[in-house]
Amino acid sequence: MKKGKSLLRGTGIFGGITILAILILSLRVQGVQQVPDPHAEMRSDLVMIDTMKTFGKLERSPVVFLHGQHTEALAKQNQDCSACHLLDEKNRRSYKFKRIKDTDRQTVMDLYHAGCITCHTETKAAGLKGGPLTCGACHQDNPQVASDRRPMGMDKSLHYRHTKTLEDKCEKCHHVYNEQTKVLEYVKGQEATCRYCHGEVTVENRIDARQAFHQACVGCHQERLAKNQSAGPDMCVRCHDADEQNLIAVVEDIPRMKAGQPDVVFIKRSPDIEPQATPEATPASDEDLLTRVPFNHKAHEEFNDTCRVCHHTNLKACVSCHTLNGDEKGRHVQLEQSMHKRDASQSCVGCHGSQQVQPQCAGCHASINQKFGGDSNPAACQTCHIKSPAPSGDPLLEPDDRTRAALLHESRTRVSETYPADKIPEKVEINTLADQYQPAQMPHRKIVQSLERGIKNSKLAAVFHREAGTLCQACHHNSPVSQKPPKCNSCHGQPFDNRQPVRPGIMAAYHQQCIGCHTRMGLEKPAATDCTVCHAKKTAP
Amino acid sequence: MSISRRKFLGWLGTAGLSVTLGRSAHSATNKHFSGYPDSNGVLFDGTHCIGCRKCEASCNKVNELPAPDRPFDDLAVLEKNRRTHSGTFTVVNRYAVASAPGKPLYRKIQCNHCLEPACASACFVRAFVKTETGAVTYDESVCVGCRYCMIACPFEIPTYEYGEALTPRIRKCTLCHPRIEKGLLPGCVEACPTEALVYGKRDDLIRLARQRIFRFPDRYVDHIYGEHEMGGTSWLYLSGVPFRDLAMREDLGNLPAPSLTKGALSGVAIVAGMWPVLLTGVYAISKRKDKIAETEKSEAVAAAREHADAETKAAVEKALAQAKKEKAKEIELLVKKALEEAAAAQKEAAAKSETEEDA
Amino acid sequence: MREETVKADNHYFRPFTPFNIVAGIIVVIGLLLTVLRFTRGLASVTNLSDYTPWGIWIGFDLLVGVALAAGGFVTSAAVYIFGLKKYHSAVRPAILTGFLGYALVVLALHYDVGRPWRLPYPFFVQQGTTSLLFEVGACVALYLTVLFIEFSPAAMEWLGLKRARNLVVRLTLLLTIFGVVLSTLHQSSLGALFLIAPSKVHPLWYSAYLPVYFFVSSIIAGLSMVIFESSLSHRYFKDKMDPEHLADKDNVALGFGKAAALTLAGYFTIKVIGIAADNNWHYLATGYGAWYLVELLGFVALPCFLYAVGVRDKNLTLIKWTAVLTIVGIIINRFNVSMIAFNYHLPAGERYFPSWMEIGISIFIVTIGLLVFRFIVTRMPIFCAHPEYKNTH
Repeated sequence: MKKGKSLLRGTGIFGGITILAILILSLRVQGVQQVPDPHAEMRSDLVMIDTMKTFGKLERSPVVFLHGQHTEALAKQNQDCSACHLLDEKNRRSYKFKRIKDTDRQTVMDLYHAGCITCHTETKAAGLKGGPLTCGACHQDNPQVASDRRPMGMDKSLHYRHTKTLEDKCEKCHHVYNEQTKVLEYVKGQEATCRYCHGEVTVENRIDARQAFHQACVGCHQERLAKNQSAGPDMCVRCHDADEQNLIAVVEDIPRMKAGQPDVVFIKRSPDIEPQATPEATPASDEDLLTRVPFNHKAHEEFNDTCRVCHHTNLKACVSCHTLNGDEKGRHVQLEQSMHKRDASQSCVGCHGSQQVQPQCAGCHASINQKFGGDSNPAACQTCHIKSPAPSGDPLLEPDDRTRAALLHESRTRVSETYPADKIPEKVEINTLADQYQPAQMPHRKIVQSLERGIKNSKLAAVFHREAGTLCQACHHNSPVSQKPPKCNSCHGQPFDNRQPVRPGIMAAYHQQCIGCHTRMGLEKPAATDCTVCHAKKTAP
Repeated sequence: MSISRRKFLGWLGTAGLSVTLGRSAHSATNKHFSGYPDSNGVLFDGTHCIGCRKCEASCNKVNELPAPDRPFDDLAVLEKNRRTHSGTFTVVNRYAVASAPGKPLYRKIQCNHCLEPACASACFVRAFVKTETGAVTYDESVCVGCRYCMIACPFEIPTYEYGEALTPRIRKCTLCHPRIEKGLLPGCVEACPTEALVYGKRDDLIRLARQRIFRFPDRYVDHIYGEHEMGGTSWLYLSGVPFRDLAMREDLGNLPAPSLTKGALSGVAIVAGMWPVLLTGVYAISKRKDKIAETEKSEAVAAAREHADAETKAAVEKALAQAKKEKAKEIELLVKKALEEAAAAQKEAAAKSETEEDA
Repeated sequence: MREETVKADNHYFRPFTPFNIVAGIIVVIGLLLTVLRFTRGLASVTNLSDYTPWGIWIGFDLLVGVALAAGGFVTSAAVYIFGLKKYHSAVRPAILTGFLGYALVVLALHYDVGRPWRLPYPFFVQQGTTSLLFEVGACVALYLTVLFIEFSPAAMEWLGLKRARNLVVRLTLLLTIFGVVLSTLHQSSLGALFLIAPSKVHPLWYSAYLPVYFFVSSIIAGLSMVIFESSLSHRYFKDKMDPEHLADKDNVALGFGKAAALTLAGYFTIKVIGIAADNNWHYLATGYGAWYLVELLGFVALPCFLYAVGVRDKNLTLIKWTAVLTIVGIIINRFNVSMIAFNYHLPAGERYFPSWMEIGISIFIVTIGLLVFRFIVTRMPIFCAHPEYKNTH
């Protein structure tokens, strides 16, 4: 009996330890694997309150806070922002909850707990739908909401609408910090993008972009709304919801911003030389291969939404940071790279290259060597680096530098069509797979005309397709531009030639070229695998 | 059991040697085998594959495989992912990839012809051979049909004729070894309309692949699958999406298969060499223990006997002494008694004389 | 002579006992399946596929069979090398079980491999020495021979071949050492078979220590199998046992139980070290991890504990049942490595589950083993010393 009992006890203890071990392990892992619920509700006004992070590791999960819901609920009780957000000494709304500054851990935590719980209780007492009162209801471990908040920004249409409403009173928004007087002041001519100063995080007394925008935008909107003036939104969703963003009116034909920007200007190669000052120093000699680039600033303003697209840290000329040899100011990116770096969205080549992924461009451009900005031909450099005509020698007759740039820029050839139709072969018969298929009739002219249509409205393409034959160069590659380029089989022959390992055989050359281009242009028909559409099956003789 | 130690060790030595000899020499060297020089391979470029199944059709034709259930130009079979089986040495599968929505991607599956094949390392009749042309060939005339090659292959390539009762074979791509020897291209490569399959020397193919990645950095993932996987394979792959999206395993590691079993094989020598010595030692110890126990036992018996003798002697002596003592006591008692008697007689005589005097 | 007397008191000779009827049915079905296997191929009998080339004929018949037949080398090593003479009566049954086990393994292989008549090819035609299967094959073949020789005295005593019997008995020590060497090699190599497929075996079961695991667990299997088998034999063949055997029986269970407890503790430790060495802890929280914990805690740690309790309390019933639990644990382990954790990366639809016919063949082979075992123990001096050879180990 006794023996049996001790055995039972032993087994019991063993089993207990086992179960405990499994439980601990599985619990530990539940903590690790926190994946957002795929069925979560998407909200653009979701704020995960994790303020306590600034005081160390979070003890509980961040609080799920739906800002819009609170604004609405408070509005029903005739309360506004001041219910939660205080005004600071400069009469600005603090976007922290019921405080101006994060003082210490205990105070802030108590502030939240007291503030939220009191209000929730009172609301309930008043017979309205109050918020949760239990810990887990706010500090949710598996929140059933997720944020689809979209960042908001000021594009030039919105900027124009603001300048118009505010009657060009730039000082309403723009300011600079005066180091001496330590106050924010408006300086005419020094307006710039907010983000140049207000970054991701608050640095000393310079608040982060998020705070800055909410303070400036929402503050002003509310002020105006209070005065019954026309004003922008003050609700989260109006700015941050994807659908609501589409409802924001967009002004076509926006007048240029008045920041004293040039129309056409030579890209500066040195921050010291003021081009207009020394006209005789500027004309490039014939030996100077890298002639100066006339840049159409005005046209680029039209194509882009914000100045930030190019002027990513300030509104100065590129060379002020990206010096010829690279400088710490420009993170050691040299001027050359700042213009030519293909994987940088701010560089000329990078931005132009990103245009080539459009279906009408991708067909040709994706098969062109992607290094060297899509073109390894030195002549291509001259599309931008245009040779200026030799100076006349008479300084009085010489135009000033900006005019020279404009003239030079205007002198570029623009080609938006290729050879006349009758010079383009209509059909090309391809007879490579004669053993299995009948000859393929390639509608050569139709293809060329279709490509032409694709680039017709593109000024970018018109400039860079320098010659009538440039458009032909994707298929008729690796030989000089010519109205009668060599035939495919003059280069492509048998496959897997050791002497030309890179060069596909003739069959693959055709298929790669045709199918590759069709795929990249998104042409669904004919399907790549539908052989007989291009070459009919050979019937047995 | 009277085997002389010398004889015994001799036997064991022979046994041990017979097990250890004949092990492949490269199982424990610092040499790295990176393929036969000038061996051939195929580069599959996923960005060129259009999923036309021409390679499958050609493979079927040149290897004289059974006709498929559905013809090769029926592309509806791509709806489901397939694998190779005994009647199909290669298949092309279509993959929907999240990073390239709406753009079907294809991958061809066949034997990768490893530089150091797992199947060859696992085969206990050496039916698989990595030839100098690059192909891993199979010799059905020695195959027992144990299917360990199928367990071993990390790419799940070898297949088996389960339907054959008595003459089942392992079936897999041969890299068209017979055709290569005739100077022809492998069937699939020859049929590929887009040169998604490039045939050539493996070294050249690696250079070509690198060049393609360099020239079109946006088009390719910067990795040549098969350059190092499982110690390198003769088939190489380029892709525009991560290889795992094409159901290719990226967790295989770069160790060639033979290195995985190297440790276990070298254990044979240790066991065959050490065990007999240890076990004989243990035997000797246990035997010696028995012997010692035996000796101790007999000694104990002798000692016990001796002890018993001494005890008897002592007892006798003690008894004698006792007897002596008792005798002496008796005499003393007798003397005492006699003296007392004499005294009494004297007293009586005196008293008698007194009365006589008084009277 | 003696043969007749044995037959005369053999009450199992009655043909229609329930056991005989069931065994008869199994044998008939087994023979039918055999015909099917050798006329229509593996496809008609098994669920094997190109993904899963090894099913229960390897996972059970080979891996489990060989592990459970380890009793032979464990017992003979204990008695003849470690000098534990008090377990001598357990040697012959253990050797017989081992011999039959290995013979059946080889028989089962004839079903599984494609061309069974080529099984000697690896030794005589072309040697694939880099293969661990070669090592397994070579060792199993040699060890089967060793077991046969070790077993032969019993048969020779039965047949009255006195001189030959005495000659073989003189080889006992050599055969035992040779047997231990071969067993160590092939028991561990069976685990090492899977070393070549790290991408297919779940990381919790794949380990560079696989050979060590298989070897150590085979010792456990051997010890437990001796306990289990002796308790069964005691029940069904009590009349065949001589007083010495009957007297030793409890001793054997206690001694082997103690050894098993110790070995299990060691096995548990190296299993945990294996997890730590590959830093596989995080897998324990997955579904496979739970199953691994069931194996490790329920079938390694628990029997270890129960054996220890059983030995301490001299509780023979507990030891017997723990032996059963341990054997089940070994079967689970072999199934895990070869089938359950194998191809863990495949979708459920591609995974393997044996067909009833595969299970049928496996049961058929086990039944044959039981029948042959019964045939031998009722005739030959297995559970008793032959009267003419009493006191001559």
